[in-house]
Amino acid sequence: MEVYLDNAATTKTDPQVIKVMFSLQESIIGNASSLHKLGLKAANEVEKSRQIIAQKINALPEEIFFTSGGTESNNLALKGVAFAAKGKGRHIIVSKIEHPSIIETARWLEKQAFEITYLGVDKEGFVNPDDVEKAIKKETILVSVMHANNEIGTVEPIGEIGAICRKRGVYFHADACQSFTKLKLDVKKQNLDLVTLNAHKIHGPRGIGALYVKKGIKIEPILHGGNQESGFRSGTYNTEAIAGFGKAVEIANTSDIKRMTELRDYFIRKIKNSIEDVFLNGPQERRLCNNINLGFKSVSGKKLLSELNKRDIFISTGSACSSNKLTPSHVLLAMGIEPEAAKEAIRISLSKWTRQEELDFVIRNLTGIVQRQRKIKCPG
Amino acid sequence: MPRISISETLDLSGVSCPQNYARALLKLAGMGPGAVLQIIIDDGEPVKNVPPALKEEGHTIISLKKMGERWILLARRA
Repeated sequence: MEVYLDNAATTKTDPQVIKVMFSLQESIIGNASSLHKLGLKAANEVEKSRQIIAQKINALPEEIFFTSGGTESNNLALKGVAFAAKGKGRHIIVSKIEHPSIIETARWLEKQAFEITYLGVDKEGFVNPDDVEKAIKKETILVSVMHANNEIGTVEPIGEIGAICRKRGVYFHADACQSFTKLKLDVKKQNLDLVTLNAHKIHGPRGIGALYVKKGIKIEPILHGGNQESGFRSGTYNTEAIAGFGKAVEIANTSDIKRMTELRDYFIRKIKNSIEDVFLNGPQERRLCNNINLGFKSVSGKKLLSELNKRDIFISTGSACSSNKLTPSHVLLAMGIEPEAAKEAIRISLSKWTRQEELDFVIRNLTGIVQRQRKIKCPG
Repeated sequence: MPRISISETLDLSGVSCPQNYARALLKLAGMGPGAVLQIIIDDGEPVKNVPPALKEEGHTIISLKKMGERWILLARRA
């Protein structure tokens, strides 16, 4: 049996999405920016998808800008606001547990004479809205806190943070790559000014994402060219991928969320009953429905990943982007977990297609591997 | 001249061609026959391209007026 449990890294594309994309690949010839009929046909597909995505987050279609994915959207949000609003101030606040596409962009902005505050989190990975309020100063132009963490699944209080930012006249950006369609996202109710979205975490195609920008907010583009996307993001429209993104959003189902939550809790319960000294990283409640992050005392996460890989079970040690690094996860370190314990973590992320028998198979294998590894370390 | 009742407004300022008329056509498709859509478009290419694109799909252009740097287009759904 082959078991794929690395869905926080990327998901298998839904056959319904593939069908839409294949059919467009055959039928769409025109560039969605061309003024002839074939261009209009392509533009129609782009706009239909834009409408679906906008509706899902209670935004206007003209507030959705297509990008190549989460990393580009996060770069555009931070750099775009920073350079457009630098006349007002040069201070930006991000949390310490953001995705590398936020953290590294923030570090780059520091080199461009912007001041960055990296907000700490508690032992479950929660940002305290009071800390956001305290960190805001006259020069603050932007706060960026992710909706749900990609490694530990912590669901941040973005509604509360949004309300604080709105009250203080500071733009608020949320990276919703992991949470989109899994958690309620309402840009109006949650006072969101910018939101990063992507397709491949929700069974859509890789290489397509979007940035929601509240109407009236000026951002400086980072890609210049043909002025597509109202000049916010130049580049030829990837019509098939955009249509696939729309389809993935359209078919996202709340019953899948309930099922994934049940399976997540089942797995955590059963693994704790099967193996001693297992630690759940991140919270029990207010956790993303498909995220499990566990630490097994005295067993390295890398070793577990490699042993499971031999048995056709595919997981990760942290985020896909950082699992090749030798340093422990910056997220776990920010939560106050000791570096050695942080190296013991593995991330198991479910999808709408994960079955209970697959999880039982993983638990059986994991139990054996952990016991063997501990015996090797402490024989007798 | 009888008073025209506007059903919905679509602000397409800053939106380039053909995205602007693709959005206008989608909006009109979601409205009832005879409903009137008020569309705000930019000067230049948009004002040249949007009205004929809507007419081509059978919708009626009721009026097109310049308001500062933008144009206000009233279109009746076919």
